[in-house]
Amino acid sequence: MQGLYQLLDKNAIYIVMIIVLIVWAGIFLYLYNLDKRIRTVEKEMNGDKNAK
Amino acid sequence: MVWKIFLFVLLAFVSIAGIAFPIVPVPHAWYEFPLIPGLKENAKIIFFHVPTAWLSAVAFMMNTIYSIKYLRKKNLDDDAKSYAAAQLGIIFCVLATVTGAVWAKFAWGSFWSWDPRQTSIFALLLIYGAWFALRSSIESEEKRATLSSVYAIIAFLTVPFFVFIMPRIMSGLHPGSADDTNAGPVINFKMNGNMQLIFFLSLIGFTILYFWMWSIGYRSLILKDKINKQSIKE
Repeated sequence: MQGLYQLLDKNAIYIVMIIVLIVWAGIFLYLYNLDKRIRTVEKEMNGDKNAK
Repeated sequence: MVWKIFLFVLLAFVSIAGIAFPIVPVPHAWYEFPLIPGLKENAKIIFFHVPTAWLSAVAFMMNTIYSIKYLRKKNLDDDAKSYAAAQLGIIFCVLATVTGAVWAKFAWGSFWSWDPRQTSIFALLLIYGAWFALRSSIESEEKRATLSSVYAIIAFLTVPFFVFIMPRIMSGLHPGSADDTNAGPVINFKMNGNMQLIFFLSLIGFTILYFWMWSIGYRSLILKDKINKQSIKE
């Protein structure tokens, strides 16, 4: 327990870095999926227009 | 597709370099940053705080450009674009204020001290807050778009003064103020080449991120509008 506390205390900046990277990966994946889903809906809507 | 991977890698690199690279009095290795007197370890915020403030200025500019376009062509898609830009602008403006306040707690000793920079961003938040209030108070689509476009153009006139001019000519605590002996204007900051490189990479990465978020924002707004109109027809 003491060892873990010291490890976290000494490397706080790297833990911050890892958390920032995880947050960035989350934002990126969210945007990526959103982009893909919007593209699918756009294709559907435009496809309807062509059918008419 | 390729540019998305590029963006991911770029901002991941900026996060790693900006946070983990050490700040030393005399940098020798390529990964060491110079110590800037008066900023010290707090200087690392420049890689994240400045891009958010920059993006809010870019977003408010796009908001104005598409407002002018709407007034000229009366196309509601342009209104959706200016709305999505303003949403992102206010988000990044709030982010710049919050990251700035957290930084101020450690650099100046308190979260908020009505420094010229803080006062000006507060005024900017109020001005663009009023834009959203104006938008939400009008029912008719065309009227709402026209009025908010006119307001956006007037509101943007204040942005260069509040972001770039007023905090520079007044003396204050923020780096880059008129009486700042350490840093001076932001560009010829006492950064070494590596620090400048990562700073500009960060600006580029955040700008690409902004345009991606903006395109997702306005495309979803336009789609929502289309689907609404279709369901009314049917």
